[in-house]
Amino acid sequence: MTSSVTGAELALLVDVGSAWSKAGVIGRSRGAWRLVAHAAQPTAWGARELHRALVDQLEASGDRRLSGRFDDLLRGANRIECHSPQRQGRLAIVAVSRELSGGAARRAAESAGWQTGPLVSLDDGRSLAERLRVLQLAEVDAWLAVGGFDEGASPRALECAAILAAARRPGSAPVIWAGSARLAEEVVGLFEEGAATSVPNARPDARRDEAGPLRAHLEELLRSLLVDDETSHLAPVTLPRAVGALATESALGILAVDIGARSAVRVLATPAGQTTVRVSASGGLSGVVLVPGAAGRVVRLAGEVGDEGTVADVLQTQRAHPATLPYLAEELAAIQAATRVAIAALLEDASPGPVDLLVGCGRSLAAAPRPAEAMRMLLDGARPIGVTQVAVDAAGVLGPLGSLEGDELREGLRLLADDLLVPLGTAVVTRGGEPGQLAMRVTVHRAGWPTPAPIAVRVGQVQVVALPRGSEAELSIEPGPGVSLGASRRSPRVRAMASGGAVGLVLDGRGIPIATPRRGDDRRAMQAAWADAIAREERTG
Amino acid sequence: MSAIHRVRLPTGARVIVEIGHEVEPAEVLANRRVAGEGTILPISTRLRRSPAAAAEHLVARPGALLEAGEPIASDGRGREVVVPEACLFLGYDLDDGSALIAPLGTAEPVIGHVRGRVTGISAEAIEIEVPGAVMSGVGGIGGAVHGELMLAVSAPADELRATAIDVNAAGRILVGGSRASGEAMTRARAIGAAGIVLGGVLDKELRDFETAQARRREVGAPHGDFAVLMLEGFGKVALDGALFGWFAAHDGHMASLFGADARLYVYEAEPPPARRVLPRPGDRVLAHRRPFAGGSGRLERILDGLRATPSGVATRAALVRFDDGRSAIVPLANLEATESFDGA
Repeated sequence: MTSSVTGAELALLVDVGSAWSKAGVIGRSRGAWRLVAHAAQPTAWGARELHRALVDQLEASGDRRLSGRFDDLLRGANRIECHSPQRQGRLAIVAVSRELSGGAARRAAESAGWQTGPLVSLDDGRSLAERLRVLQLAEVDAWLAVGGFDEGASPRALECAAILAAARRPGSAPVIWAGSARLAEEVVGLFEEGAATSVPNARPDARRDEAGPLRAHLEELLRSLLVDDETSHLAPVTLPRAVGALATESALGILAVDIGARSAVRVLATPAGQTTVRVSASGGLSGVVLVPGAAGRVVRLAGEVGDEGTVADVLQTQRAHPATLPYLAEELAAIQAATRVAIAALLEDASPGPVDLLVGCGRSLAAAPRPAEAMRMLLDGARPIGVTQVAVDAAGVLGPLGSLEGDELREGLRLLADDLLVPLGTAVVTRGGEPGQLAMRVTVHRAGWPTPAPIAVRVGQVQVVALPRGSEAELSIEPGPGVSLGASRRSPRVRAMASGGAVGLVLDGRGIPIATPRRGDDRRAMQAAWADAIAREERTG
Repeated sequence: MSAIHRVRLPTGARVIVEIGHEVEPAEVLANRRVAGEGTILPISTRLRRSPAAAAEHLVARPGALLEAGEPIASDGRGREVVVPEACLFLGYDLDDGSALIAPLGTAEPVIGHVRGRVTGISAEAIEIEVPGAVMSGVGGIGGAVHGELMLAVSAPADELRATAIDVNAAGRILVGGSRASGEAMTRARAIGAAGIVLGGVLDKELRDFETAQARRREVGAPHGDFAVLMLEGFGKVALDGALFGWFAAHDGHMASLFGADARLYVYEAEPPPARRVLPRPGDRVLAHRRPFAGGSGRLERILDGLRATPSGVATRAALVRFDDGRSAIVPLANLEATESFDGA
């Protein structure tokens, strides 16, 4: 990156999202590369407006000797860009059971980045004619048929495939059979030559979901369908690359969650270079309203946001106008609760376990008005057990950086080290214990500071300790009876380092999952107390 | 002005129109035969073989369409099983040696629900050029309906009330204002209205109405199609004043409404007032999101720098003087410039 940047002394990092575009300008300042301007706007406003906003910022705060030249400099700057896919692959599912085989297939498809269209199952209450009609009218890029266990040759599973064969137009989109292995040959034979492919059963028996091979096949198929899109610049590809490189460079286990307007991405990267990615095509904020009971969950999570009907309207409005912004505080609270629902949904199929660093990406997280709000969304949504640094990709630079090649990417991460992420602080999250009993007793040692008395946090409580950005503390954590920090331990005390941030050190004894009172008034009071506790240090610190 | 409407064809549909054909909304474009419920056809007993052995003699494969009298199984020695009527072959049960078939019923028409000229025919779809204006909404329910537009409120922010819906609404597409209650939608449906076009609707009322309609269908209540289209948002959201004026100017025009697709065609109509993002000072604007959702006004000026909304979100904002007399600073992202409508 350096060689391409030095000529103009500026580089432009752009992330063109489905609803919002983010751009950052990095420039050399006193020998170091720093983020010198940043702008975000609805994508529909266009590149020219984004360019103008950046130039205005640079004119206002940049080097005065360059005043009047920023327009030209920015035009000549190296542009490093990623973007959301222009279109999503659509897939229809035919299954024996809506919840079991159908559910496993839907999860696998969505986690491979597909948008799932109609799901027809033999237990969906439709008549055969309706099932055929739904499938005949579906406009999809692929068909997925599932059902039956590997040991059996269920006629019901074969019936699913037959319904699809009857409804599908020969020569149209490809068919994937991910059902009973014993039926594979017969099912493939129902379609014209080359039309159907068999992959290992996504649910080989009643107790197991093994969606890996299906997911890999669907990912490959999606890549081949979206060949027009330059995949090396697609955000679902570039973000994982950047997070993976960051994990290797920093020797940290990282979990990154990107909640976009339309889709969501989860990246789990290890220091050894292993990266696990899940892309949920409809897992973004627009998709929350489609989750059954979402409005009720948002009401329970958010506290004072109105009734379910009001929240349903807020979520629908977010879907209908994804580039607009919540104006009222209660609308913002509802959207932030919806973000927590989206994060939880993104992680529901596989708990990542303890990680060293949790990163939030996407406008709702990275551009939250107050850092405490971002911290709360990440902690409540992801529930990262143990001691975890928490940060946000506030400038949206991880995605664009991931479009660089290996060495350039690592160099870019190193050059931008100070501006790459905005640290929110460190969280200590516990699991288990009895309500009201001790969750943990924490002693915070900071070099050069007197050691304060241990802080006792009860199960169901959250406390924040001031720990500003740039400072570190050594923690001595004594978990309460029956309380876990996620890793087996021999000593009654756990020692860990905590780094500071805009929020500080969050001692979170609310458990996993968070238990809330049944009574609405009690629940709202508790939610308000938690929000206040997390925001307190930010206000005073 | 014209728009292209695509009528998707189910597999096996027989098209009965040709390119250049002028079609009416209720005209049949193609026929299809719908599969009924599955029935059992004994195979192994008729072939006098075991279920497993009979499976070897199937001559059709599941998913195949069979005409009446066509063999489904044959042992090659004179014994064969033919299907008694046209049907879909859905599967063979190895336990009892029977085939599951779904007889095809009488032909059902494929109707386009639009008026226009057929410009293209393929195996997948018929394309029709519709002479008129098309507009898309933010949501909707129901199938395809057509009827005359009928203005049912007197101002864009008015609610469509049940008491305002009478027999004149039968067969028509009502243009409401900022909202219709569940009661109003139910009454419109009961009185025979074809559909409703609204600025907004409460999501909960829409879902409740949809659920009630589904239950009616389940218990076999007589039903015609009924569709609802929301143009602006969810909650109580007024129609833009200019758009309302456009609807008023086209009162009585024939229209086709596709509820689930959130699309409306209005025939012999001028284009509706155009909209664009990123309004400029002096523009007429329409606001989205509470508390200004559906509010129309004029953008006075764009403020320098970023401004914090009451929610705390810092963003570029503009001063808007709304038609109701209010002035407010509104996020620029929540505003659309709208063209004024001078009337037809």
